[in-house]
Amino acid sequence: MASRKPVPGKGRVSKGSPKSGRTRKRASQGGGGWLLRGLGAAGIAIGFAFGLGLAQWVLEIDRVVVERFEGRRFSVPSRVYSAPLIVYPGTDWQRVDLSGWLLRLGYRQQPEGGQLLPGRYEWLPGRLRVHLRAFDHPLRPEAARELEFRLSGGLIDKIQDARTGATVDVVVLEPEPVSAFLGEDREQRDLIKIESVPNHLIGAIFAVEDKRFEQHHGIDLQRVVGALMANLKAGRVAQGASTLTQQLVKNFFLTPERTLSRKLREAAMALIVEARYTKREILQAYLNEIYLGQRGSTQVHGVGEGARLYFGKSVSDLTVAESALIAAIIQSPNRISPHRRPELAQARRNLVIDLMFEQNRISPRHHQAALDEPIRLAAISRESGQARYFLDALSQQLPDVYDAGVLRTEGLRIYSTLDPRIQRSAARALRSGLERIEAQMPEPADPAAPLQGCLLAMRPQTGEVLALVGGRDYGASQWNRCVHARRQVGSVFKPFVYVAALEPGSGPQVTLADFLDDAPLELETPSSPEPWRPENYDHEFRGPVSVREALERSLNVPAVRLGQRVGIPRVAAIAQALGVSSPLPLVPSLALGTAEVAPIEIARAYATLANGGRRPTPRMFVDVVEPGGLATENRPLQGSVPVLDPGAAYLAVSLLEGVVDRGTAVRVRAEGMRGPIAGKTGTTDDEFDLWFVGFTPELVAVVWVGFDDPAPVGLPSSRGALPIWTDFIREVVGVRVRGRFPRPSGVEPLEIDPETGALALAGCPRRSEEVFLRGTGPQETCPAEAVAGEEKKPGFFRRTFRRLLGRRP
Amino acid sequence: MRENRLGGERIGGWGLPGVALSRALGWIGLALVIFTYSGCGTMGVPSRSGQSLRVSEAVDQGDAARRASMRLVVQGLDADGEYQFRRAQGSYERAIQVDPTNPYAYLALARHHLDGGDSTEAANLIDQAAALFEAEGIRSPRVEVHLVGLRGWEYDRAGRSSEAATLRNRAAAQAPDVWGDGYLRPEELR
Repeated sequence: MASRKPVPGKGRVSKGSPKSGRTRKRASQGGGGWLLRGLGAAGIAIGFAFGLGLAQWVLEIDRVVVERFEGRRFSVPSRVYSAPLIVYPGTDWQRVDLSGWLLRLGYRQQPEGGQLLPGRYEWLPGRLRVHLRAFDHPLRPEAARELEFRLSGGLIDKIQDARTGATVDVVVLEPEPVSAFLGEDREQRDLIKIESVPNHLIGAIFAVEDKRFEQHHGIDLQRVVGALMANLKAGRVAQGASTLTQQLVKNFFLTPERTLSRKLREAAMALIVEARYTKREILQAYLNEIYLGQRGSTQVHGVGEGARLYFGKSVSDLTVAESALIAAIIQSPNRISPHRRPELAQARRNLVIDLMFEQNRISPRHHQAALDEPIRLAAISRESGQARYFLDALSQQLPDVYDAGVLRTEGLRIYSTLDPRIQRSAARALRSGLERIEAQMPEPADPAAPLQGCLLAMRPQTGEVLALVGGRDYGASQWNRCVHARRQVGSVFKPFVYVAALEPGSGPQVTLADFLDDAPLELETPSSPEPWRPENYDHEFRGPVSVREALERSLNVPAVRLGQRVGIPRVAAIAQALGVSSPLPLVPSLALGTAEVAPIEIARAYATLANGGRRPTPRMFVDVVEPGGLATENRPLQGSVPVLDPGAAYLAVSLLEGVVDRGTAVRVRAEGMRGPIAGKTGTTDDEFDLWFVGFTPELVAVVWVGFDDPAPVGLPSSRGALPIWTDFIREVVGVRVRGRFPRPSGVEPLEIDPETGALALAGCPRRSEEVFLRGTGPQETCPAEAVAGEEKKPGFFRRTFRRLLGRRP
Repeated sequence: MRENRLGGERIGGWGLPGVALSRALGWIGLALVIFTYSGCGTMGVPSRSGQSLRVSEAVDQGDAARRASMRLVVQGLDADGEYQFRRAQGSYERAIQVDPTNPYAYLALARHHLDGGDSTEAANLIDQAAALFEAEGIRSPRVEVHLVGLRGWEYDRAGRSSEAATLRNRAAAQAPDVWGDGYLRPEELR
């Protein structure tokens, strides 16, 4: 610019031409001067504008930098943890999948010999030694400790503290990370503080990525020149010169394209970052930001999460060799992945170790030890897609302040009620069950709209949801059928009719010794000019049947009669009290389950029966904890609310045990299940919806199977939903179910004549035990004359002998 | 009378082995009586000494899950005694996780909530504990005194003073050493 700028009196003037000289002088003094002045002013204006623009640009960059650094610097997805695994002497360690827990939590097998470090375990004959890591729950922390589990006959026989030899009664193991509320970028990170990062990890990163980090001011000119020379020599981009600060800026603020303007912006931002923040702050941000690979579809960022991914341990526990590996893969985490290309990863790790030694960052002894250390990676624990349904339901149960944005960015720790073992069993049972049903269907289902199902398991006393699989494949359909799908419930509704008739508030209308008429019935309905004529599943009528038999065989006509006797509004009120919250149509067919109800409501209502008439509140989370360790939300265990007479609840449980022992769900017993189990099948018209709800004293589980757009499945529930339930429960609790259904004091067992329902006295040829609300037992006796002839009644031993000899008493 | 007659009839028919059997049965019966009344016979039935139930009496009873659950209840009471309330709550909830039918866990958790001033949650837990004690057939006066006392405490928290006083007086009358002050300390339940 300066060379072209006209200078007065120094123009190219011809000495022999005064005119032209005058002309030029005039020009320079007149129009020319004006032009020059104009150009000068324009230049100044442009320069000013440029300077202004530059200043604005710098200020804008500064603002962006400050905003990101001063505000929340990272979007950290909130992570959901399972309930802890609790083991004690007597635990079936294979059933609770103790070895799987070790793998999923990143515990590693101890190499031969040496001290058992935290996060390691070793199997010995009849024993398992584990050095448990500390679990840093802010409210319920568990200290690191070394334990020895003595194993015998598939059970944990004894637990000892390996150091002191003291017996340990019960061990609470760290909850498993279940999943996270990821944003669209699907980034996962575990934020760390620089104080927790070992020096050798920082040294390893400096050695290979930016050895003059502590000297430069954001841009390492010496390295830039070196890289330039190297690239010129190679004729291609063979070497980069980005400092850690530039890498941070690039990842933090910029898009990945390679343009000059982006490079300039990166350099300016690096200088601003260095000017505004300390090296320590910059390094901490870098360590939390750097991309370190993939866990399935999730991007792993930061050394905290990286240490978990590759070594299953906290960053503070990384060895020199492990730190070197983390540093080694920063350049290209997927290309140098130690999972996929272990040789390449080891070669580059050794290069980093050598660089650390050359730069005097480690001693010769550490250098050699690190080179000799084999790479031992933790198993990759990919999140189960099936747990996503649980997460969705959980997020709806959280208070409104935890909206989707907060869950995706605030890095909360949410401790849930999910039992990962039960969840895995639920997912497996549902998946294989649906495949089995499809194999039996006469025509294959449309692949675009496949057969669907859901399985939900709940603890009846507390309402804690232990497993929830809301569909077949979360990737294909996020519709949570357990929570949102309201489907016709069919016969799983019938027990509510019986409860309404059995509970004292109804009179009671019936006892378990009463009979209902299974005969043709016509009912007027307001919606149709024709009377409604309910029929049984097999279109047969049996005449008088006992209340017990009617439910065990899931007969429709007696249920409708009973519904009419009790009154449909009363039936609906009982169902709602038990836990059904969907609207219920007050029509006669409600007794047969024509209402549309979500599976979670059915699970809750049956949980109320299993819990002695006390309705639990579904609970999916226990604590929400902020990154700083402050618990912001706690949902304490609430107990349950009494909504039904305990005696009536027990009678219903007894009926439902009969369904499993002799009725439509007898297949549960045929599959070898023993112990206290109750349940009810449900198949809607044309086999559109298949249900099974079953429970033990400690677990309620509901299974629903059907198409999203209702269509015939082609099987009854006993061959569709029930086998899924049985597979699930067998895997979770084994074939022998623990506990019993406790009989409340308001219920008394009496011997009755099953054919007449009369009280069976001595001399009654047929007798079976039945349960009654105290004081509601039958008044009639069998035989009718037995009261008078009581003296002749044979005693217990005589009756037993006669039975043994095959003679009728 | 009828039992005697039946027994005589049977033994007479069997002769000498029958006499030996009857003696053996007699000894077994005596042992059962001693076993029952010594407080070891029934899960959760405490010894006759003391006016109120203590959790430690039942800590070794029941199956493996119940025993582990009871250990966690004791841990919770210890934590409550050391003013580590959240830790205590965690222990009770874990006790319920291990054995959801353990009435002692609900009882201790109800006490914990009342101590923390939360009567709503405590009310349901007292009911749950009562139902489970009854289901296990251990609704003895020594259990009842806690249920009554806790209910009185709950009413007091809920502002139902006169009902609270009645119930607390009942509990105090039966177990003055424990309920005399209308309050159940963790160590008094432990």
